[in-house]
Amino acid sequence: MKRRLLSVAIAGSILCAGSLVATAAQSASASSLTTVRFAYDFPGPDMELVPVVAGIDQGFFKAAGLNVTVSFPPNTSSTSQMLATGAADVGFITTSDMAMAVKAQVPLLSIANYSMSNNWGLFAKPGSTLTLASLKGKKVFSWGDTWTDAMLPFVLKKAGLTMKDITVVTASNDTPLLLNGKIDFTTSTSNYAIPGIAGATGKDPVSFTGPSIGVPNIPIWVYAVTQSYAKAHPATAKAFLSALLAATKWAAANQSAAVADFDKMYPKSGYSNAYNALGWKLTVPLLTNSAGQYFTQTASQWSLLDQGLLATKQITSAPAASSYFTNQFVPAQ
Amino acid sequence: MKRRLLLNILGPIVSFAALIGVWQLIITWGHVAPYIAPGPIAAIKSVTSNWSTLWPLTSWTIKETVDGFVAGALLGIIFGVAMASLRIVQRVLYPLLILTQAVPIVALASPLVLLMGFNLGPKIVIVAWIVFFPVTVNILDGLNHVDKDLLTLSQVLGAKRWRTFRLIKVPAIVTPLFSGLKIGATYAVTGAIIGEMSASAGQSLALYQHNAIGQLDSAAVYGTTLLMTAIGISCFVIIVILEFLCTPWTRRSVARQLPGRGKKEASTN
Repeated sequence: MKRRLLSVAIAGSILCAGSLVATAAQSASASSLTTVRFAYDFPGPDMELVPVVAGIDQGFFKAAGLNVTVSFPPNTSSTSQMLATGAADVGFITTSDMAMAVKAQVPLLSIANYSMSNNWGLFAKPGSTLTLASLKGKKVFSWGDTWTDAMLPFVLKKAGLTMKDITVVTASNDTPLLLNGKIDFTTSTSNYAIPGIAGATGKDPVSFTGPSIGVPNIPIWVYAVTQSYAKAHPATAKAFLSALLAATKWAAANQSAAVADFDKMYPKSGYSNAYNALGWKLTVPLLTNSAGQYFTQTASQWSLLDQGLLATKQITSAPAASSYFTNQFVPAQ
Repeated sequence: MKRRLLLNILGPIVSFAALIGVWQLIITWGHVAPYIAPGPIAAIKSVTSNWSTLWPLTSWTIKETVDGFVAGALLGIIFGVAMASLRIVQRVLYPLLILTQAVPIVALASPLVLLMGFNLGPKIVIVAWIVFFPVTVNILDGLNHVDKDLLTLSQVLGAKRWRTFRLIKVPAIVTPLFSGLKIGATYAVTGAIIGEMSASAGQSLALYQHNAIGQLDSAAVYGTTLLMTAIGISCFVIIVILEFLCTPWTRRSVARQLPGRGKKEASTN
């Protein structure tokens, strides 16, 4: 009996010691990684987060020595504040949010483009015969965001109209209003509007997007950090973008697997696999410029944005384009 | 009397001043950046300097609040009286009343917009939805706690149902009615803002604030919040004044004599 007790005690001790060693090794490995807190631009996850999810799930960040965690802002305009208050290290924001941050003297710096072109536009319900020429007197949905405020006047100018010629409607959801005929057009980006409306109706909406409707062809989303973070952690910023580039390329080449990673990490996102798959498929072509490059920003994209914001009086003076961005952390391609 | 009046006026002024002072101290001592939260002066200045833009939006919000409040209060009185008068109505409606308040109001906004459009309709429904419940519950409580002896006396004296209601029940529900109205008045503006946030055609105070959030203009965000708060407080104060005017007996220790009543009673004696 005593021998049996002794052998149980020894076995228990070995197990305990083993688990202690394993835990210590694990924590040592976690502590050897540099933590980067990533803040998304929306209160919940959606398919534009696929590259970051792929970076985490496929080990691109870990291989670069990074432990990337993802957090979500309380509303669509708080990511800049999360960065400014140190609640996040890297943020995902729109370029117009970046301009508003600079206007409000929030010390942010855009370190890379997410998308490279403008896929924003107007969408009418499937089968609609409406055109931009018939925009006068119509109800146009807006999320009330700075990007839509900046872009809508360009569309109206192209149609020979002003804001007084349309009724701008703002609500918490656009698709039911569009499908029920309460609004004539919604404003969105193709990678969100098409999967949303196609998912509800089985048919694609009638789309009017990009430079053909008069809007400047400028990127919509960027990755941003605070200027102090860029100064204090240049190696981390560079490692983050290098790993993210590899993850983005992998997610673009392996779309089904990348979306499956997203669904696995966020099973309760509220979006179906079909929505995410179509959304990501429509996002991939937006990620590269005409030279096939990812991330690289240009001074002209920021100058064009300034012009749009000046025209809509969202800013009163245009800061130098260089005050918005840097390409110094973008990896060679 | 004068001292009491002075206290009633000075008390709120002192507490508001203290609140503003604490707010300013937090901003100053906490070195809070203006894009995170403004000081009270910046917030007030944002309102005054944009008053020509804000006033039409504010007056529209006031209209939504008042219309919805009146509709909700009337509905609350009708429900309260009907439920107290007929047990079967109370049994059927009471669970539904509680259900209405358990439903997240935001979830109702989209169907309301689909049914009623973007203008005043959905906002009035949302405000009324919020206001009617405290009014109904308070009326019901008031009517359920009428002095039973008085009711028995009126029955013994052969008073008709309407006369009993007018002379015994109505005075009994005045105090709880005003309690319900005060709660409703404070929440009414919240309903109007929820309505505006849910769907607006053109401009609204909620949309103005939404745009200010997008532009990291915290002074405008807090300024509009102060405006919304002022609407809520004003509604409350108006109800308090109405209560003061409608319930003179609460401030008198001697019953008021109706004109001529004293003489007639003296002559009959």
